[in-house]
Amino acid sequence: MATVVVAPRSHRSKELRRHTLIYLGLTPFLVLAVFPILWMAITAIKQDADLYLVDAVPFWFRQAPTWKNFDFLFHNTSYGDWIVNTMLISFWVSAITLLTAVPAGYALARLRLPFAENLGIGIFMTYLVPAIILFIPLARVVSTLDLQDSWWSLVVVYPTFTIPFCTWLLMGFFKTVPFEIEEAAMVDGCGQLGALLRVVLPVSWPGVITATIFSFTLSMQDFLYSLAFVSISDQKPVPLGVATELIRGDIYFWGSLMAGALLVGVPVAIVYNLFLDKFISGITGAAIK
Amino acid sequence: MTQVSPGGPPPPGSLPVPVGARTWEVSWWRTPTARRYLFGYVLLAPAVLYVALLVGVPFVFSLYLAMSDAAVGAPVARFIGLDNFASALENAVFYTAVRNTLVFTVGAGILKGLLGTALAFLLLQPFKGRKIVRALIVIPFTLPIAVSVLGWKWMFDSQFSVINWALSRLSLIGNYGSPDWPVWLGQPALALLSVMFVNVWRGFPFSAIVLLAGLTSVPPEILDAAKVDGATFLQRFRKVIVPMIAPILFIGTAFDTVFTLSDLSIVYLLTNGGPDGATEILPTLAYNTGIRGGALGRGAAISLFLFPLLLPAMILLLRTLRRRQY
Repeated sequence: MATVVVAPRSHRSKELRRHTLIYLGLTPFLVLAVFPILWMAITAIKQDADLYLVDAVPFWFRQAPTWKNFDFLFHNTSYGDWIVNTMLISFWVSAITLLTAVPAGYALARLRLPFAENLGIGIFMTYLVPAIILFIPLARVVSTLDLQDSWWSLVVVYPTFTIPFCTWLLMGFFKTVPFEIEEAAMVDGCGQLGALLRVVLPVSWPGVITATIFSFTLSMQDFLYSLAFVSISDQKPVPLGVATELIRGDIYFWGSLMAGALLVGVPVAIVYNLFLDKFISGITGAAIK
Repeated sequence: MTQVSPGGPPPPGSLPVPVGARTWEVSWWRTPTARRYLFGYVLLAPAVLYVALLVGVPFVFSLYLAMSDAAVGAPVARFIGLDNFASALENAVFYTAVRNTLVFTVGAGILKGLLGTALAFLLLQPFKGRKIVRALIVIPFTLPIAVSVLGWKWMFDSQFSVINWALSRLSLIGNYGSPDWPVWLGQPALALLSVMFVNVWRGFPFSAIVLLAGLTSVPPEILDAAKVDGATFLQRFRKVIVPMIAPILFIGTAFDTVFTLSDLSIVYLLTNGGPDGATEILPTLAYNTGIRGGALGRGAAISLFLFPLLLPAMILLLRTLRRRQY
């Protein structure tokens, strides 16, 4: 009898100990990952004078929290323009990426083309040719197209990394669509193109949405290209604008810097977070199969 | 992928071709196979052309620029052979940049590997709240890099650094102005450590998640089978787990190495190579020479010195992908 009663209890205490150990192990990682963001958030809503009280505990407020750092962004800088630029850039980059990567991914995955695998790997490898090698020749390309100092230059350049990544990602998606439904459509009189548009694309929408999301988030991760190609204030995307326009000489507008950084950074991080597994399986997909 | 040779048997899954239609008078390019190929290459063309024109051509063009005296605002560039490479090699800052690039990449890589492994094994355990913990821990990787680096710049502030405040309260250092007050971005050795630390902070969740994806892809039956056969934990780890997750580890390492080697934003925003060249890396040197200094040719030459460093990572990735595909 006694053992029957004791067994679950010892099991429970064992579980408790296990959980405690795991949480203890995770705590430093959690603090490391989250503290900088909390600190930025606190800074963003602090009054300026409150930021520079060296003796007080910096984690709380001596003066009431304030939204004036956000006001400053929208009234004294081109922050509104930067947001619009960022959205427009991401929109056009996504459009270019989908129009090229969807057909390419489909062709590589489904049409049994000679050299399809090698072509696919070749396109994906260009994702690894870094901006730091390409930005100087691309600066020449941008000035030839007369796009320097306009955010359109970034619309031209960002697909150099979104197309390779999204083609690879979509290739993986299209491979999972069963051949039979495509054949059935063709038996029913669809051509190859009709089968793609009416049957394969509608069932591949999760892949298409994922590719769109990554065109957005990868565009917003860039810093080097925008730094090299855009120097007019109202043409900048948010990360570049915040990093360059809120530092005047030796003066750092810390409150507004953090406000401007988080206002766009946090939504991007949340969306990216939700799709992170797709990103990881996108780049490692071929290895887990 | 099955490759179909012209005239061969129709590949499995293709539409049956009516026997009567398939006479030898019909030339090959009219066959359904040929039409499928044509359709396929038409679909592929936009992506291939875009990448070829804006990655392939610029890459070749950068080789040419590196051998010319191209400059911002000077439309005509003269061919000057290897002078740009030679002048880079004569510059003491260049060697500092190469050394820092290597220290930065290798040092940060090892740290990311260690932290990532520890974290991956923790996250592999089932426990309550695992999803939310995972979502919080990957935040550094998902924030746009310029955004989080600005946060670190504020945390490394010479006077109002929250890190120093905490250390000072713990009596590990004195007050502001005392000799042991660290100026993170102002002292050469500390500055290099600080920029490396920010790279590690951003990259360790990526290492952990990649490793975790690898570990969860090992079927438990195989581990059980090894256990039944009497393999110890270490043996199972070395002989079963490591070989099975090796491809995914290679790919993760290749990506992380390329991103770390080529990232400009951390150093540019935190120190811009300073103090006195202590954090100069090849990307900042290339940017400051080529764009700020306007010497496109010399900048291109410096950034091409990154290529031999990137090549091993790219070959590793290529070999891993090709081996797994077939």
